Amino acid sequence: MEMSFSPQQLAFRDEVRAFLAQALTPRLRHGAALTSGVFAEPDIARAWQAILEAKGWLVYHWPETAGGPGWTPLQRWIFEKECAQAGAPVLPGMGLKLLGPVLYTFGSAAQKAFYLPRLRSAEHVWAQGFSEPGSGSDLASLRTRAERDGDHYIVNGHKIWTTQAQHANRLFALVRTDPAVKPQAGISFLMIDMALPGVTVRPILSASGDHELNEVFLDTVRVPVADRIGEEGQGWTIAKFLLENERGGTAFAPQLLADLVRLQGETGPLRGELAERALRLRLEAEALEITELRTLAEIEAGEAPGPRSVITKLIASEIRQGIEVLAVDAFGMAGLQWPEERPFYDAGVPAPFHSATAQVAAARYLNARAWSIFGGTSEIQLAIIARAALGL
Amino acid sequence: MRFAPNDDQAMVLDMVARFLAARTDPATMAAGPMPAQDWSALGELGLFGFLLPEAAGGMGGAPQDVMLVAEAFGRSLAITPLAEGVVICGHLLGAAASSSRGDQLLAGIAQGTLTLAFARGGMISDKGLTGHLGLVRDGMAAEAFLVAAEDGGVALLAADDPRLHRRPVRLVDGSLAADLRCDAAGAALLEVPEGQVAAALALGQLAIVAEMVGAMATLLDLTVDYVKQRRQFGQAIASFQVIQHRCARLYVMLEQARSMMLRAALAPEGERQASVAAARAYAGEAALRLAEEAVQFHGGMGVTDELAVGRGLRRVLLLSRLFGGPCAARAELAA
Repeated sequence: MEMSFSPQQLAFRDEVRAFLAQALTPRLRHGAALTSGVFAEPDIARAWQAILEAKGWLVYHWPETAGGPGWTPLQRWIFEKECAQAGAPVLPGMGLKLLGPVLYTFGSAAQKAFYLPRLRSAEHVWAQGFSEPGSGSDLASLRTRAERDGDHYIVNGHKIWTTQAQHANRLFALVRTDPAVKPQAGISFLMIDMALPGVTVRPILSASGDHELNEVFLDTVRVPVADRIGEEGQGWTIAKFLLENERGGTAFAPQLLADLVRLQGETGPLRGELAERALRLRLEAEALEITELRTLAEIEAGEAPGPRSVITKLIASEIRQGIEVLAVDAFGMAGLQWPEERPFYDAGVPAPFHSATAQVAAARYLNARAWSIFGGTSEIQLAIIARAALGL
Repeated sequence: MRFAPNDDQAMVLDMVARFLAARTDPATMAAGPMPAQDWSALGELGLFGFLLPEAAGGMGGAPQDVMLVAEAFGRSLAITPLAEGVVICGHLLGAAASSSRGDQLLAGIAQGTLTLAFARGGMISDKGLTGHLGLVRDGMAAEAFLVAAEDGGVALLAADDPRLHRRPVRLVDGSLAADLRCDAAGAALLEVPEGQVAAALALGQLAIVAEMVGAMATLLDLTVDYVKQRRQFGQAIASFQVIQHRCARLYVMLEQARSMMLRAALAPEGERQASVAAARAYAGEAALRLAEEAVQFHGGMGVTDELAVGRGLRRVLLLSRLFGGPCAARAELAA
C-alpha cells in the first residue's frame, strides 16, 4: 500500500502547475471565481477552451486513440486537482465530458471525423436533451418522438432543464423511435443541429437569478438518420454510459476543497459553530478525495472499480450545498446581496457590499440546490448505491 | 498510489481472519474479553511481532500493518488489548533506549503472554509516580503499566508495586478497566526521544479507528442480511425504499470512514498525527451513527443483549469515545 506520487507524477504536477500559473489570466481567474452557476459563462469558457486546446490538454480525459494526450487516470486527477487549486474556469461538460466519450465509443468513423474536431474547436457548442416535463428521474418514460421518413427522422417533443441551450448550436437528445417495445428498448440517441427549422429555445430563469436552464421545443424537426449515434434502440445503453461519466467521470473533491479554502480566505478565520461546520465539510471532502483516489488506483491497476465509485456524486452534492450555505452564514447580511445583473464579473454589476465573493454568495447558494437534482437526484443515487453496493 | 494490501499483508490478514472467525459466533460475537489462551495463540502465530517495529524485535509495525490487523479485529468485535497493550506500549518500548527489562516486556508482548496497559497522567518525582490516573483499559489484567506522565516523562510501573492501587471497573464493552492511583509508585523512567510518545499514541489511535471501521463493516453486513430476511406487511423490509436509502447512507459512511483510515495510515510521517485526528473525528461519529442505525433496523431484537448488533453498539460506543472521542479530535484539529 502506498499513497504517494512517483517522481514522474510529481514532475507532471509541476509542469501543470507552471502552465496554469502562466495561462490563467487575471480575467479568467476573476471570471471563474465569480461564476454563480455550475459552468463558466461563454466568454470565459471559450477563451479557456482555446488555451487548453492549443496546449493539447483540452480533452485530457479522452484516450489517445480519440485524440487525448494519453494520460493515466492519476495524471488526469493531478490535472483536475491543479486546475481546482489554481481557480481555473470549469468548462461546460455537455460536449467535452458527456458527448465526447459517447462519440468516440459509439460513433461511426464518419461521425467521429466530423464531430470530434468541431467539438474541440468550439465550433459546435453542445446542449443535452434528456429530461422532459414528464420524465425526470424516470427518464425512460420520455415521450419525444422520432419517426422515420426515408433518410430522416421527424422529431417532435419537448426537452427541459437544458443547461446553456441559449449558447448552444447543437443538441444531443434521447428520442423515442419505437413506442411499441418496452420503454428502455425504444429509445435512440440523436444529434440535432439547433439551426434546423422547428427548434425553439425558451429560457427558464432560476431562483438564483441565473439564466442557465432552458426548454427546447422540437416541432417537426427533420434530423438526418446519419446523425443517430449507435443503433436504433441503443439510446438507453448509451445514456447509461453517459450518465456514469456525468456522475463519476471527474473527481469532485479537489474543487470542493479548493473552494472551501478560498472561502475561508475571503471570510477570515471562522469561529464557533461556523468553524465547526467548516471543519466537518473539510473532513467530508478530504474523505471524498481519498474515496475518489481509491477508485482511480483500481482503474490505474487495470481492475474494475468497486461499487464505491457510485457514492461520489451524492457526497459531493451535499458538501457543495454545505459550503454555499456556510458562505451565506459567514458573510452575514453581505451574503444576502442579490443583484439582478449577470454574470457577476461583468462591469454592469453594482459595486459589491463587503466583497465580490459575498455579493455572489446568495446566488451560489441557490444555484447549488440543483446539485442534488441534476445528473440523477440524490434519491436516485441512494437507490443506485443500495442496489449496486448492498444488493438491496 | 495503491490502496490494496500486498501479498505478505494479505497472508497475515487471512490468517487473522480465519483465527478470529473460528472463535467467534457470528450471531452474538464476543461477550467478553478474548481468553488468554487465544491471545497467546495469536502470539505464537507471530501476529504481534508483525505489529512491532524492528527496533522492538518485531518485523513490521508500519502504520498500514497496524491498520490492517486492527480492522480485522474490529470486524470480529473482539475485545482485546491490541491498540494500547500491543501498539502503544510496544512502540513506546521500541522507541526507548534498550534495557533488559524492556526487552523482556517486548518479548512478552510479542508472545502474547504478557499484558501491558497504557495510562496518562501523574507526576514523576525522585520518589516515584504520584497521581490519580483515571480509568485504564485492561488495567486489571496488566502486569505492568506504561505511563505518559503530565511532565512529559514516560514511566514503567510494575502492577504489583504496593504503592500502586487499582480498583476494577467494568466498561461498557464488557472489558475490565482499572481505576488507577499511584502514591509514589516505583517508576523506571524510559528514555523516549521527543515526539515518539505522540507518534506511538497516534499509532494506537489509528488502530482504534481501524477497529471501528472493521466493526462498522460487520454491523452493516449484519443489518443488510437482516433487512433482506425480516418480513413485515407480507414482504422483506429490504423492499421498502426508506430502508434501502438509509442502508445506502450507512454504506457511504463506512466507505468515507475507511478512506479517512487509509489516509491516516498511508500519510507521510509529518502529516500522520493530523490525519489520525481527522480520522478519529470522522470515524468516531460515523461509527456510532452506523451502530445506532444497525440497532434501529433490527427493531426490538436490536436493543436486546442477545444479538451482535447490541454488542457492536457497546463496542463502538467505547472505541469511538476513547481519548476524548470526536470532540477532542476536532478540538485538536482546530488548534
